[in-house]
Amino acid sequence: MTWKTKFGLRGLMAAGAMAVATAMPLKAQAETTYNLAMLSDFSGPYADIMPILAESREIIFDWWNKTRGRELGVTLNYKNYETRYDAAQVASLWPGIKSELNPIAVVGLGGPDVAALSERLPEDKVPMFMSTAAYGYAWQPDAWIFNPRPTYSHESLGFLNWMREQRGGDEPIKVAVLASEASPAYVDMAKGIELYAKEHPEEIDVVEIIYTEVQPTDLTAQMRRVARAGAEALIIQTNTSIVVAAKRGLQANGANIPIMMSSHNGLPASGAALGGLAQLEGDYEAYGMAVAADEDSPARQFYETLVADYGLKAPWNVVTAMGISQGLYIAVVIEHAIEEYGADALTGEKVREALFARPITTEETHGFLPTLTFTPEAPFPLKGLKVNVGTVRNGKIAIEATGVDVPDVSKW
Amino acid sequence: MVYFINDIITGALIGLLYSLVAMGFVVIYRASKVFNFAQGELVIIGGFIVWFTTLQMGLSLWLSIPLSLVLAGLVGYAIERIFLTKLIGESAFSMVMVTIGLLILLRGVVLLLFGPAVRPFPIIFPLKPLFLGDMLIPMNLLIGGIITIVAAVGLSWFFNRTRSGLRMTAVAEDHVVASSMGISVKSSIAFAWILGAILSTIGAMIFLSGKSLTFLASDIGFAALPVALFAGLESIGGLILAGVIIGIAQSLTTNYLDPMIGGSLGSVVPYIIMLAILLIRPTGLFGWRSIERV
Repeated sequence: MTWKTKFGLRGLMAAGAMAVATAMPLKAQAETTYNLAMLSDFSGPYADIMPILAESREIIFDWWNKTRGRELGVTLNYKNYETRYDAAQVASLWPGIKSELNPIAVVGLGGPDVAALSERLPEDKVPMFMSTAAYGYAWQPDAWIFNPRPTYSHESLGFLNWMREQRGGDEPIKVAVLASEASPAYVDMAKGIELYAKEHPEEIDVVEIIYTEVQPTDLTAQMRRVARAGAEALIIQTNTSIVVAAKRGLQANGANIPIMMSSHNGLPASGAALGGLAQLEGDYEAYGMAVAADEDSPARQFYETLVADYGLKAPWNVVTAMGISQGLYIAVVIEHAIEEYGADALTGEKVREALFARPITTEETHGFLPTLTFTPEAPFPLKGLKVNVGTVRNGKIAIEATGVDVPDVSKW
Repeated sequence: MVYFINDIITGALIGLLYSLVAMGFVVIYRASKVFNFAQGELVIIGGFIVWFTTLQMGLSLWLSIPLSLVLAGLVGYAIERIFLTKLIGESAFSMVMVTIGLLILLRGVVLLLFGPAVRPFPIIFPLKPLFLGDMLIPMNLLIGGIITIVAAVGLSWFFNRTRSGLRMTAVAEDHVVASSMGISVKSSIAFAWILGAILSTIGAMIFLSGKSLTFLASDIGFAALPVALFAGLESIGGLILAGVIIGIAQSLTTNYLDPMIGGSLGSVVPYIIMLAILLIRPTGLFGWRSIERV
């Protein structure tokens, strides 16, 4: 080996060492990674919407990592866990998730996650963020599980008050509710409406609450009963199969009572199960987030960005909107926590504190959610609650009303 | 009063639908002494076959229904050949465990082949109900009830009056003894599974006509379970009475008690009736009482 070669090698090694030394702090700063545990249902009752929901919420973290995360020096890593929408499965998975990921937050899916983890998360100091509306049975102070939307009952009551205003007159609006005891969440949806109607008989008259199976055999007789009782609206926030059975029951009776659905069993999903959106002409979906209609909106524009720049394949519908809004408000809370406490030692506890520290504005969630002000009093914002109403007009989903006020509802 | 009578009629017809699905349990049990826990999954498989031939292949109902029944029979045959034929001569318990595995497997296969989306099920029976004065009778349940009664009468005759049916009963008694008597155990069990799959497909058509199809529909298997146990696992004719009793009890509970107590007692009542009858008569209403000499 000649001196030239030796010098060359040494020089190369020195340059390499310098490059590594120079890059190390930057690399460490850029790779502060925090983990998120995603609870998913690819093989249970919500398997039909899960691929879209999963892609929509995952892409938000990919987008965040490439934009705000890069600026802040933080990467959000995520991993899906299959729960089959089963509380026992969630409970058995949780210790493993905790030891494997040590997550700073859980990206939740539905009622079984709440039922399984509501006692454990406060002990483990990990907050869980849902995409759905909240549940009355989980309406407790000092929560560790949060919903960007109020309870399903809040959302349906906002819709019913809006419908009564549209109808005019002083009479209470007559409503029937279809629920199921297959899930505590389904019962909860009906209980809140029932209590509100008892306290406000001048506003709402519940003609009947029908409990049925998740795949009803036949609802023709039940639909005749509610039609004869003069119901002006049917509230179905359970699943698409019940919407289909109720619609068939109404059609068999020649009755035309508008159905209000929620986000997880909304117009696109129920329309597809009925053989086309046209079957739901004049029916509604109502919830506290953006309606995925054809009209241009900040939410729609942001969705188009995700499609064009980040390869989002999920169609523009309510499930995609749910996934995006969930990802967005979680990313914003984490961002607030980084700004408040720094990027280096973030914990689940600090993320939760950041949630209460300042509101998540509607601009931060690109119009997907209204401005959310969380307090330790409840797992969802108690003030400034709004719902948006979508409908089917000429075979297409259209926005019927936005920013509809949600009434104050007593705890049940 | 009209509503009350209407609720009784609707309840009886829903009960007959349960009887039809329960007939799948009984046919397989009578031929092989195996209680098939995957009966609800056979209903879904049948439902997906009907959906595929009708809405995917675009065949008319006159073509798709017989084709679906043939395909369902082939599925039943394949299940028996792949999973059960090697267990002939083994304990009934082993076979029952296989059916539990089958339950999980079939759910997975449905997800794998058809995906998880909720699909519209073709309208097989008219949506317009039959109006009798103030009474309303869903057409799918009415036609389904007639089919169930015809199927029960036909199968009762087959099992009790024909040589093939009696052979199948002998197989259920003891595989080894039946085999030594020159009876083809394999053929008998295969035929029972073919029949079970066909009955499940007919059940799917009645249950899901004009509604939606997901794997949640398999829950009807569990709804039919109390009917099968209430009637006694060997009695096909008894299924009619058991189904009607359970259907009426469920309907009246759902329509009159549930609104009062604000709960879904209706879904529990069939099991309460089943447990009550099993306490009094462990073999069910019409099940065979066997005497074992030791």
